[in-house]
Amino acid sequence: MYPNWEAIYRDNVGWVYGLLFSKVGSRPDAEDLTTEVFLAALRPLRVSATVREVRSYLMATARTVLADHWRRTLGRELTTLDDELFDPALPERDISRDRSAEADRILSDLPENYRTILRLRFLDGLTLKEAAAEMSVTVGNAKVLQHRALRAAAKVAERIGV
Amino acid sequence: MSRVGRFVEKVLRQRRIRRARIDPGSDAELRTAILLRSARLGAGSVREEFVTSLHQRLGAELAADPAPPVPVTRRRRFVQLTATAAASIGIGAGLDHVLTSAASPAATPPADNQTGGPPLSPDHGAWLAVATSSELREGGVLRFDLGAVSGFLRRTNGQVAAVSGSCTHLGCQLNLDAQARQLDCPCHGASFSVTGAVLRHRLPIKLGPLPVIAVREADGKVEVFVPRGTGP
Repeated sequence: MYPNWEAIYRDNVGWVYGLLFSKVGSRPDAEDLTTEVFLAALRPLRVSATVREVRSYLMATARTVLADHWRRTLGRELTTLDDELFDPALPERDISRDRSAEADRILSDLPENYRTILRLRFLDGLTLKEAAAEMSVTVGNAKVLQHRALRAAAKVAERIGV
Repeated sequence: MSRVGRFVEKVLRQRRIRRARIDPGSDAELRTAILLRSARLGAGSVREEFVTSLHQRLGAELAADPAPPVPVTRRRRFVQLTATAAASIGIGAGLDHVLTSAASPAATPPADNQTGGPPLSPDHGAWLAVATSSELREGGVLRFDLGAVSGFLRRTNGQVAAVSGSCTHLGCQLNLDAQARQLDCPCHGASFSVTGAVLRHRLPIKLGPLPVIAVREADGKVEVFVPRGTGP
């Protein structure tokens, strides 16, 4: 059991954020959604709830909040949170490491230039201009390359089921 | 740029995703963009500034609890409040349920005729001095910050009152515009009056007024009632 609401918050804010970030990919969105989760969840929570119960409840709330977010923005659930894979004993399981394994797997199936543009832009955080310079191509070429590379990566992701 | 391209750029630049009409045929690409972006080293770590600001927001909601379980009459002798925002605090208002599951709705008469909410005070709290009486002059507004709870004090016709200093949208810390006597949110542009009422915003949601915080004067000090454990 947690001694008070602050303990509930401190212990869980990290993994709730990490999980949501991995599903929306953008920090401001992940922060907004994390805020929604805690505002909605702390009200009905009792301090007498066990750690496991608290985490399961936060997870269920996060799932709903994420679903609402996508319905609001795209009109459909682009990504979902799967509670079947959720372990309340280990909620902080390294989400970004899981993700980087998946990313590596996808990138390794792509041709060299596709792999390079995606790595430079998504993993290394270069701007389009910087990535173009790094690859010695024009910005226009880099843009087209990125577009095609992402499409190819999406096909790989679907094929390998990530 | 295509809609898909714009979505991908937003993910890359870490912007909010706004409402967009995108063909579902591109969903796999959007998901892959999110996956690749969140695979970046350290990408899933939460910012300490955000953790602190949400902590304050939750603390403010807690401080504005509408369900005092102890005999209200005893407390009300000390507490001078205007309950402008009390009636409709909205989401998170019952944070005391975290602390006690025995909370019951407050059966208190409205603190003034105008609005009609019950007095607000946490179950487990303490009075903390945040200013001296002389600092808070007639007609003045003063900011206080206790870490988990921050807000704005004011004195009108001699009476002191206080509202939470966190925007009811996403908890950003409000800035005081003393001249206009209003509180402005730096995040999404919402404005509140110093009494907590919503003045204007452009959010696609119904925005609640600022929770009222219990405040009293004792021994030349202005004190606010905040959750136990709150402190600078």
